[in-house]
Amino acid sequence: MASFGKKKKENKPERTQTTSSQNETSYFGKDLTIKGSVSGNGNVIILGKLDGKFNLRGRVKIAQPAKIKGEVRADVISVNGVVQGSLIAKERLHLDQTARIEGQMATPRLSISEGASFDGEVKMSDSSPKPSMAPAEGSAAIAQNKTAPAKE
Amino acid sequence: MQKDKSADSTSLLSKNVRIEGEIQGPENLHVEGHIKGAVVLAGDIFIGNTGIVEADIEAKNIIIQGEVTGNVKAHRQLEIHPTGKLIGDCSAASIDIKEGAVFEGRSNMIKSSPATGPASPLKDSRTSQNPKQSPS
Repeated sequence: MASFGKKKKENKPERTQTTSSQNETSYFGKDLTIKGSVSGNGNVIILGKLDGKFNLRGRVKIAQPAKIKGEVRADVISVNGVVQGSLIAKERLHLDQTARIEGQMATPRLSISEGASFDGEVKMSDSSPKPSMAPAEGSAAIAQNKTAPAKE
Repeated sequence: MQKDKSADSTSLLSKNVRIEGEIQGPENLHVEGHIKGAVVLAGDIFIGNTGIVEADIEAKNIIIQGEVTGNVKAHRQLEIHPTGKLIGDCSAASIDIKEGAVFEGRSNMIKSSPATGPASPLKDSRTSQNPKQSPS
């Protein structure tokens, strides 16, 4: 067998794994604890603990082992974990079966799966500046009367 | 011989995302975003090209391709790549600074004492800066 080229053991220190920053989803593993605020543009999946604030333009997924204490603001929020505090979604908010929420929620579109637990209050004013989309389609949103007149 | 028990999970902070506060845990962390505060990990931290960290860092291995301002402590190795920049003091068991890298600060070698075992995430050396924020 002709060995085509010796295995050149050139140790290349530059592991160019920085290209993986293409997808802008941050991931916080289940053993990571963050105290403070997380802000910026991009999507976030969190499995760990957050004591503080999320303020993001993008989607936030609070996965099952995650525990959040504080405030979460994002365009789209979906929850499988535990949240104590407030959830403010500009576009929509979904509580999955394993979600456990204590606190306030504010969103124009809300869905809650069977099995989720939610102690607190919801506000569904359409404060989000969204001209194209009808505010609450019957499918997902618990349609409340559009009480507030459209304000800019 | 140190046990090569690397943390199995790597968290990623992507570009355009910023954390202000403390981060800790037995994880690896890949930073392409911005951190301000403090980082204490039992795993490795990799600061990518776009990563900016203004924080004291403590981790097993610290690999810097971006920018770090703060004191760093690597229980095993500190690596600064040609694009990397470290402004602050470092202490590490082993250092590897590539040509082109920027390092301004003091360096202090940790004498290898593997008996101390794997890095515990909380060392008492950082009691001095505890902001003590009480959630009210």
